[in-house]
Amino acid sequence: MPGISQDSIVFHGRLSELYILAKEGKIPTHLQGSHTRPCKFWTATKILSGIRNSVILAHGPSGCAFGVKQAYKLTNSRNSGAPYEPVVCTNADLKSVIYGGEKNLHEAILEVDRKYNPDVIVVATSCATGIIGDNVDAVSEKMKDEIHAEIMPIHCEGFAGDYRSGFDLVFEQIVDFMQPPTPSDRERLRHSVNIVGAKMGPERTEVDTDVKELVRLIEGIGAEVHAVIAGNCTLEQLKKAPSVAVNCALCLDLGYPIGKAMKEKHGTPLNSTILPYGIAATEKWLMGAAKYLGMEKEAKAFMQSEYEAVREEYEAAKSFLEGKTAIVEGHDAIKSLSIAHMLECDFGMRPVIYNFHPWSAQARETSIDYLLETGVDPEILITKGTLAFGKYESMKQTEDELLAYLGDVNPDETVYFGSSLSFPHIPLVDLNAILNRPRFGYRGALKVAECIKTALTYSFRPRSALTKQIVFPKNAGLASAASLTSKLSSDMPDCTVYAQHRRRGQCMMN
Amino acid sequence: MYDELIFNDCTHSKDPMMGCALEGVAGIIAGIRHVSVVIHSPQGCAATVASAYDAHEIDFTQRKTACTHLFETDIVMGATDKLEQMIREADQKFATKVMFVVGTCAADIIGEDINGLCTSLQPEIQAMLIPVVAGGFRGNKYDGMEIGLNALLPFIKKQGETIPKSVNLICPQASLNPTWGADLKWITDTLKRLGVTVQAVIAHDSTVREIEGAGRASANILLSRDAGYTFAKKLESQFGIPLILSDIPLPVGLKNTTGFLRLAGKYFEAELEAESIIKSGEEFVVDILRRRALMIIPRYRNCRAAIVADATFGTGLARMLFEDLEMIPALILLRSGSEETKNLLQREIDEMGIKAKVAFSVDGYQIKQALAEARVDAVVGSSWEMYMAKELGIKVAFDLFAPTNRDVYLDKAYFGYTGMLNMMEIMGNDWERAFRSDEIRWGQYAE
Repeated sequence: MPGISQDSIVFHGRLSELYILAKEGKIPTHLQGSHTRPCKFWTATKILSGIRNSVILAHGPSGCAFGVKQAYKLTNSRNSGAPYEPVVCTNADLKSVIYGGEKNLHEAILEVDRKYNPDVIVVATSCATGIIGDNVDAVSEKMKDEIHAEIMPIHCEGFAGDYRSGFDLVFEQIVDFMQPPTPSDRERLRHSVNIVGAKMGPERTEVDTDVKELVRLIEGIGAEVHAVIAGNCTLEQLKKAPSVAVNCALCLDLGYPIGKAMKEKHGTPLNSTILPYGIAATEKWLMGAAKYLGMEKEAKAFMQSEYEAVREEYEAAKSFLEGKTAIVEGHDAIKSLSIAHMLECDFGMRPVIYNFHPWSAQARETSIDYLLETGVDPEILITKGTLAFGKYESMKQTEDELLAYLGDVNPDETVYFGSSLSFPHIPLVDLNAILNRPRFGYRGALKVAECIKTALTYSFRPRSALTKQIVFPKNAGLASAASLTSKLSSDMPDCTVYAQHRRRGQCMMN
Repeated sequence: MYDELIFNDCTHSKDPMMGCALEGVAGIIAGIRHVSVVIHSPQGCAATVASAYDAHEIDFTQRKTACTHLFETDIVMGATDKLEQMIREADQKFATKVMFVVGTCAADIIGEDINGLCTSLQPEIQAMLIPVVAGGFRGNKYDGMEIGLNALLPFIKKQGETIPKSVNLICPQASLNPTWGADLKWITDTLKRLGVTVQAVIAHDSTVREIEGAGRASANILLSRDAGYTFAKKLESQFGIPLILSDIPLPVGLKNTTGFLRLAGKYFEAELEAESIIKSGEEFVVDILRRRALMIIPRYRNCRAAIVADATFGTGLARMLFEDLEMIPALILLRSGSEETKNLLQREIDEMGIKAKVAFSVDGYQIKQALAEARVDAVVGSSWEMYMAKELGIKVAFDLFAPTNRDVYLDKAYFGYTGMLNMMEIMGNDWERAFRSDEIRWGQYAE
């Protein structure tokens, strides 16, 4: 291994080996005290924010509701021109904690129904009301006949599960809004799909987003997208969603729970593949949809024409990259796995995922299972910095370990796929930049090829001393606890989400 | 007398415009240099604490925070061991002299004995442990700031004589100026010109030693009209340090700045220097506006405006808009609503003789509702109000306050004479953009 001492390595091997070690408890999978992810409440409300004309009523103090409102709703207003949307709370205080807040919740539901006239009220529990044991289910059930909106309780107390659990919970539960397919709906939607596993709300109109690219692909074969769940979908769309020909997972990990639930409850087929980075994954995604749409012939013709449009540049990139090594930043687990899949299957590279936190080996089981089943088993390198106290995505230790690992490898033989906030001496391809969208589909593959070409063309330029000092100042302390956006803050192009007092241009955890 | 708005259906549900008590507590702690924080909470609360650090613009490399990641079993079985382990680890890794151990909703409700643990662990821990119970249900951000400030009281000592002409600046980060540090600098520099030294800033980039010395100041100035009154009163009663200049608006706009300086000059017996600052400041404003902004006179005169802000700026903006710029503050919606704030606004409105509609401690629903009914031409507020205004068809929205949709790289004060110009510059640009055509029919130019 070039450069890095064995002392600095926690794990080096195949993904499958790491996966087994994590399952057997032979490698620590907990996040360090200095590492935090959004809690279950945040992730649950992120999905709920994608249902139009719904109101989240957080049963708890104001802080939880305000945090998600600012991060998700205000960002939607800014980026996508969405109207102002509230996140309401019952404003639980000391008295509520001592005497219970069910009566207050009852009244709050009535007020919300009158004030906003929403299609849906989702009562989201918080730590405080979860612990005191307010019977939110009973209150919600009782209110059903008293209000115009549909109502659903969601138990998403911050302590009740990890980051991922909020996504899964909501995706599974919103299936309860859906109606069983009818023959007439099935006929009407026989050439339609749902894209499942989306979150937060409407797409930016001025950015070529990945979701837009998937919609374009579906429409390209002559089918339609019925709903993007939950990316600005309506209650009416949700109700009819099971009648489509197939659900297509946007993100395998997030799309799987809702896809599975819809399949079990309503028999809606599920097309789930890894994120469609690169042509191999895109074709698998598209053919998976076409199979259920009965449009395989159209899909093949469309894929051929799409490929022809990007072939020249794509093949040029492929011929250059084949046989070379790719270091893939592993901070965003699903993306790193998908990129590794693309680099190996499309470009014939040898991907090494750097600093894939063992926590992800547990949290991202679905994607890992898929990858291993498809025969892709990339190398993983985890250094000590990843498990140290501090924010491993941004700390000097992991950067130094990266540089030590690379040592003096030949920049003509190795390419780094990760954030521009790292400073390896080899060509660096940052697929997260806003200008590098879409990343999915054929246009995405072309974009990747262009990015690689640009990175190689300008690899003679030393990295800016200015930018390096911005990220890694002299005498830097430990960066910790959600203090910096993950370097692959991928949900938001340009990685800017509002948080308290943060101004435009500042970052926020994803 | 102001006309206070009444809203229906707002007794049990709230669309909050600010964070909870935890954020307030963390906002005070984040203002102290070289201290660490262990949050005894589920991981989501760490984002709230991070927001408080953002308010102080603490470099991401300098944050020393850790979280115990409470999960369901911890809630059922208790998590004192987990907290103890985290305190030990943080003590070793962060190596700070002081460590705040903060319990949030979950720890607070299940009754984790944070005080007891800190006491028993203290002999084995290098850092001085300061337990703070800060369940979010204990109030909003402003209430939390009082809790946080209260936690600092034990640090403050009355050692030595009172230092004449010295002040403590009590400045909980409650301000909506996105680069609030510039206001602190303005006030510090101005006091210096009046011959007044700042004994302690409580708390922004402050040292523990600085806070310890706060007991020797001869006066306290509160740089907020939203939080900190209770703490200031405690300093008054416990240390005999009077709170001054608290019943007037802060120096927002020409007249308020002049009024603030005149009273400060009088209190510190520096009237001549105060007059000199006033003279040069007013001349500076007039000179700039004459040369660069003559058009503001017809533009703003009798423009009906809504002010949606914290009380720190809202109470001062009313006079700036009405008397300095000849606008009509028809609607004033404030984030907080203490008795002190209500009395101050009442006096201001009475003195000016205006008939503004007013609401305190407003939430998002109330703001939008009030804006929809107010028939105003312009809104002075933050991004929230900017987007609401757009939706409601209000032509002009001045995006002055946090969270703003502007990139601001260099600190810009809103206090003082230059501060007024800084605000007016933003207003000028937003005004111009508001009246640019969104849809230009390019075809007609091609013909």
